[in-house]
Amino acid sequence: MAERNIESVNKVREAVSQDLLGGRIDLLLGWEKGHYWWQSRPLFARSEEDLEKLAWDSFCAVNLSRYLLEELKDHDKIGVLVKGCDARAFNRLLQDNMVKRDQVILYGLPCPGMLDYNRLIEKAGGALLGITEENGRVILNIESGEQEAQRDDLLLDKCKDCRYPDPAVYDQLLFSPQGEKEGPERFKTVEELEEMSAEERFGYWEKELSRCLRCYACRQACPFCSCRECFVEQENPRWQGRAYQPSENFMFHLVRAYHGTGRCIDCGECERSCPVDIPLQELNRKLIKDINELYGDYEAGLDAEQEPPLLTYRPDDPAAFSEK
Amino acid sequence: MSAALNETAAGWEPLIVSFCCNWCSYAGGDLAGTSRMSYPANVKVIRVPCSGRMNPLFVLRAFQRGADGVLVAGCHPGDCHYTSGNYQSRRRLSAFKRLVEFAGFEPERFEVRWISSSEGDKFAEEMTSMTEKIKALGPNRKMRDARWQSVTSKV
Repeated sequence: MAERNIESVNKVREAVSQDLLGGRIDLLLGWEKGHYWWQSRPLFARSEEDLEKLAWDSFCAVNLSRYLLEELKDHDKIGVLVKGCDARAFNRLLQDNMVKRDQVILYGLPCPGMLDYNRLIEKAGGALLGITEENGRVILNIESGEQEAQRDDLLLDKCKDCRYPDPAVYDQLLFSPQGEKEGPERFKTVEELEEMSAEERFGYWEKELSRCLRCYACRQACPFCSCRECFVEQENPRWQGRAYQPSENFMFHLVRAYHGTGRCIDCGECERSCPVDIPLQELNRKLIKDINELYGDYEAGLDAEQEPPLLTYRPDDPAAFSEK
Repeated sequence: MSAALNETAAGWEPLIVSFCCNWCSYAGGDLAGTSRMSYPANVKVIRVPCSGRMNPLFVLRAFQRGADGVLVAGCHPGDCHYTSGNYQSRRRLSAFKRLVEFAGFEPERFEVRWISSSEGDKFAEEMTSMTEKIKALGPNRKMRDARWQSVTSKV
């Protein structure tokens, strides 16, 4: 089984059950085990019975803050378990006036990074029965016995270059903080793409985007895509055509990414939820990199009080075009 | 590629869409006209209330429907009729320009310029130089809607 630590699950359960059963919150957003041991899906807990299912392991990658948009329609006060990225997502929603701070109680969970099942089976090289974890190492239970691996090598892409594993906002911090990280390879792929010629880059994106099914899972998972009406569903004018062709793929992906300029919290949920593995995060990171270069370092979601770069300006701003 | 060559052989002319701010650049175009300056007829001007009105969707839609180049023109920073419209668009369009370049567009395809209402000569100059640059680059096929039919040239 994939259980990491029964103690830590119990600690989380203890903290939230007081509030849920005592009526301080109507709903708790957490995780429960899915159909397979390597899946942890969102849990919507309303009772003590529900809380029995609570999970906190290395597969709780789903960003829970996004579910607030729907759930706040039916609940007055919601408790949410937040990792570093969930907390930044909450700040994002807060800045967009999609939630109010007093509607939500946040239970902070400093996050060691979540594991990637694909990397696990690749490492196992065959049927993988389960994993156990200790001190930064993962022990894979395979048919022929056990195999050991470094935890850092098995992380999800979105966790590999995570810089802020600790929640930036919380009411109660349940474990000791992990501390800020470096994330040195965060812009590596972006820089590699920037080195290419325009033709090569276009070819790269045309190929990657050609897989797009237009399922909009990236949008549904995204904490910055909180518009009640999205441009892809607008009928008049109908910006986004339904046709399957490169032109429409570029239209969707460029505008989706662009709407996150200075707003994307770099949680990587879009890319993780993509069923055809389009490297969406590279588009988002390109915009983060450019905004940082042009208008000063800004990490979206770290501080809800700080104004996002596209909502403000300075008279002496630089431009990416000639101003003569 | 063959389509591009055919177009050149048939005397291809670029189509440039220019979004001009009502208060400065559009008036600059007017001045160019009343001063009898000439600039290429390849440029089709669309008037917007302010460069801050620019929605990046306008630009991408232009590329989908046959534009070979897009030029956004607005008041000089500090001169905006609405005080801060062009300051906002400077940030937005800078990020957007870099994004379309990242997606594989040549940098010349999308440009932003500040042209005031007294700069009729600059208006004519910018439109001419943009047309020349796009002519040298050739027709744009990137993001062109496969169903779009050219009305200005036979493909």
